[in-house]
Amino acid sequence: MVSVAARRPRVTGRRYRSVTLGALGLIGFGLVLEVAPRIGVVPIDFAPPTSQILVTLVEQLDQGSFWTALLRTLTTWASGLAIAVVAGAVIGVLLGSLPILRAATATTIEFLRPIPSVALIPLVIVLYGTTPRSTITLVVYAAFWQMLIQVMHGVADVDPVALDTARSFRLGPWAKVRYVVWPSALPYVMTGLRLAAAVALILTITGELVIGSPGLGKEIDTAQQSNEVRTVYALILVTGVLGVLINLVIRRGERALLSWHPANRAEKGAA
Amino acid sequence: MRRPLIALFTAVALLATAACGDSSDDNSAAPAASGKPDAVNAGVIAILDVAPIYLGKEKGFFSKRGIDLTLTTAQGGAAIVPAVLSGQYQFGFSNAVSLLLAKSQNAPLKVVCNGNNSTGVADDFAGLFVKPDSPIQSPKDLVGKTVAANTLKNIVDTSVRASVKKDGGDPSQVKFTELPFPEQVGALQAGRVDAIFVVEPFQQAAIAAGMRKIASSYVDAAPNLTVALYFTSAKLAGENPDLVKRFTEAMQESLAYADSHGDEVRDIIGTYTKIDPATRAKMTLPKWPADINRESVDALATAAVTDGLLTQKPDVAGLLP
Amino acid sequence: MRILWRILLAIGLPVVLVAGWWFDSAGSEDFYQPALSTIVDAFGRTWTWEMFQEQVFPSLWRLLAGYFLAVLLGVALGALIGLSRSSRQVLEPVLEFLRAFPPPVLVPIAILLAGIGDRTKILVIVFGCVWPVLLNTIEGVRARDEVLSDTCRTYRITGLLRLRHLVLRAASPQIVTGARQALPLAIILMVISEMMAANEGLGFTVLQFQRGFQIPEMWSGVLLLGLIGIVLSLLFRLAERSLLGWYHGQRAGQREF
Repeated sequence: MVSVAARRPRVTGRRYRSVTLGALGLIGFGLVLEVAPRIGVVPIDFAPPTSQILVTLVEQLDQGSFWTALLRTLTTWASGLAIAVVAGAVIGVLLGSLPILRAATATTIEFLRPIPSVALIPLVIVLYGTTPRSTITLVVYAAFWQMLIQVMHGVADVDPVALDTARSFRLGPWAKVRYVVWPSALPYVMTGLRLAAAVALILTITGELVIGSPGLGKEIDTAQQSNEVRTVYALILVTGVLGVLINLVIRRGERALLSWHPANRAEKGAA
Repeated sequence: MRRPLIALFTAVALLATAACGDSSDDNSAAPAASGKPDAVNAGVIAILDVAPIYLGKEKGFFSKRGIDLTLTTAQGGAAIVPAVLSGQYQFGFSNAVSLLLAKSQNAPLKVVCNGNNSTGVADDFAGLFVKPDSPIQSPKDLVGKTVAANTLKNIVDTSVRASVKKDGGDPSQVKFTELPFPEQVGALQAGRVDAIFVVEPFQQAAIAAGMRKIASSYVDAAPNLTVALYFTSAKLAGENPDLVKRFTEAMQESLAYADSHGDEVRDIIGTYTKIDPATRAKMTLPKWPADINRESVDALATAAVTDGLLTQKPDVAGLLP
Repeated sequence: MRILWRILLAIGLPVVLVAGWWFDSAGSEDFYQPALSTIVDAFGRTWTWEMFQEQVFPSLWRLLAGYFLAVLLGVALGALIGLSRSSRQVLEPVLEFLRAFPPPVLVPIAILLAGIGDRTKILVIVFGCVWPVLLNTIEGVRARDEVLSDTCRTYRITGLLRLRHLVLRAASPQIVTGARQALPLAIILMVISEMMAANEGLGFTVLQFQRGFQIPEMWSGVLLLGLIGIVLSLLFRLAERSLLGWYHGQRAGQREF
C-alpha cells in the first residue's frame, strides 16, 4: 500500500473542494425551497419555507425528547444494518461463488424480495409488538436484499482471468477469496453497503412511523396527528441530514478502501 | 458468525413459517395475587379522545387499583389490534366500526368500556367541511362528489353516509378517498376533494382556513354516538376477569373525571401530543360518559350492513361487556 | 435431462419451504396467522378475472410506467452526473438528502404537487425507484476502463457516439444491476402510493382487507404481490440476456469449462 503520508497533500486540497461544492449544492437547494412557498408554487400553509422549518428545528433541538428519539432511531438503524450487512455478505459470497446454490435459491429470492416490508407489518407486530425489535426486523428484511444482490453480483463478476491465475498459483479457497474475489467484488460490496445503509434508514423511519416504535418516525407521526406542519418538516429535515451524513461516512470509507480502483484513480489523475 | 445466520432465518421465517407468534412473546399479566401491581400495557392513538386514560393515570386511578399502567401510542387500529390479540398489549383503543368489523370476522376481541362519545350537538369535536364558495350546501349535495376520510371502513365514512341519508340523499353515490387528516384541508383548498371530514385539532385548522361546516356527522349517525371503545383480547377476558374489572372501574372513574374537568384535559393533551396551547384552548372536546351507549353501537352495526361494509350484522351483544 | 434438472433446482427450495409452512400452520387458531390452506382458499375466492381487471391491471400499468420512467431518468441523469466530477460533488449531498425521505412522507408531498390520481402514484414510484438506477449508473460511468477511454480519445470519438458506445455500454452491467434492484422497489412503492388518496388498485385492496380485518384475503394479496414479483423478474432476466449478451459471452469466453 502506498504510504498515506506521501498522498496526503494532494488529497486534502481536493477534499476541501468537494466539501465546498457539496455544501453549495445543499444551500442552493435550501434557497429553492425558501422561495417556492413564498411565491405560491406550493401552498405556504402545508409546505413552509426553509427559514420557518429551520426555526422550528432549533426549537426541537432544545427538547430532550428529540435527542432520545434521535438516539433510538440511530440505534435501530445501526443494529438492523449490521445484521443485514453481515448476513448479506456471507450469503452473497456463498451464493456468488457456487452457481448451483445460486440456481437453487433463485426463485425463492425472486419471490421474497418484492414482498413489501409494509405488508409484513401486522406479522411483525404480532411477533414483537411496537418495540424497536419490530422495526429492526423490517430493516433487516429490506436491507438484506440490497446487500445480498450486490455481493452476489460482485462475486459472480470476478475477472475469470484473475481466477485462473489464482488457480495456477494454487491458492487455497480462503486465499482465493481474500486476494482475488474480495478485492474484485469490493466496489459492488461498497455500493451494496451504501444502498443498504440508505434503505435501512428509510425503513427505520417508515417502521417507526407506521408501527409506532420509539424514534424519529414516531415523533413525525405524533406531529402529523397534532397538525404541527412545521415540526413535521423539521423532523424530515433531520432525516435528510442523517441520510447525507451516512452517505458521507460511507463514501469516506469507500475512498480509503478503494483508492486503488480505476474509478477513484481516474478522477485523482487527469483533471 | 452464528447470530447473523439466526437473524437471517428470522427474516426468512417471516414468510415461511407461521407459528412463531403463538408461544413465546405472550406476556399476559399475571393475577395480582401477592399485592404486587399488575404491569399493564395499553395501546392508544395520540389524539384527544384518549385524554381520560392519561388523566386517570396521572391522578392515580389505576395505581390505586393495583394496575401499573404503561401507555403506548400507535398509529392506528392496524397496529393496536394485532398487538392486543398477541398479548403485547393488554388493552387497546379503537373506533366502534372497526371493532364491529373485527368481530364480524371472528377476531377474538371483547370490549371492556367506553372510549368517547360525540357531544350530541352541532358544536361537535368533528365536522364535515366544504370550501366557502362551494355549491354544496348540505350533505345530500355530496351525491356524486368525493369526500376525504382519514381511513375507510371505519366510523368516519359510516357517519358521513348517515349524514347524507338523514338529509335525503343516496349515500351509496358518495365517493370516498382515503387521505390522512394533515393533508385534508390542503386538498380541499386545492379542490382535489369536494368535502372533508375532520376531527380536532384539524377542525380548528379547517375553521381557521375559512372552510364551511355543513354537518356534524357523528351527531347524525346516532344520538350521543359512542365513537370509540377500549377493548381487550377474549383470552385475557377469560383468563383474568379480575384485572379486566379493575381496569374498567379505573377507566370509568377516569372518564367521569375527564368529562367534568375540561381544563385539566386540555393540559394533559399537551403532554402526549404536539398540539399548541392556542389550538388546545379552542378545541371542542368530546363527551366522556362512563357507560357505553349501546343503541348507538347497534345503529352503527345496522348502518354498516346497509352501507355494504358487512354482509350480516355482527354479534353486538357478544362484543360489548 | 438438463431441463429437468434446471426445473428441479428452480422449484426445489420453494417447494420445501411451502410444504413446511403448510404443515406448520395447519389448524392455526391465530387470527393474524391463518393456516396456509385458508390463505390459498381465500386466494381462489378473491382474485377473480374481474378483480384482476378492476384492481390489478391499473396498478400494474402504473407500476410499469413509473419503473420505466425511473430507469430512463436514472440513466440520463446518472450519465450526466457520472461524467462530470464537479457536478457529482455538488449534487451528491442533495441527492442523498432527498433519497432519505421515508416513502410514507413522500406521498403527501406528491399529493401537494400533483393532486390525487394516477399522476401522483407514478410520481411516487419514480421518486423512489430512481435512486438505485441513478447511483449505479454514476458508479458504472465513473469506473469505465481507462484503456478504452484513451482509445476513444485517440480515435477522436466524441459526443453522442462516445456516450453510446463507450460510456453507456461500459456502464451497462452496473446500470442493469441498478435496474434490477429498482424492480422490487417499484412494487413496494406501488403499494405505498396506494395507501393514500386512492380508491382502487392492488395495494389499496390489500390495505382495505387489512382495515376490514379480512386477514386471509390480505395474505392472499401479499402472495399475489410475490407472484407478480417473480413474473416481472423473469421478464427482466429475458430482457437482460439480450441486452447484455455481449457481456455474458465475453465473461464466459474468458472462463475455462
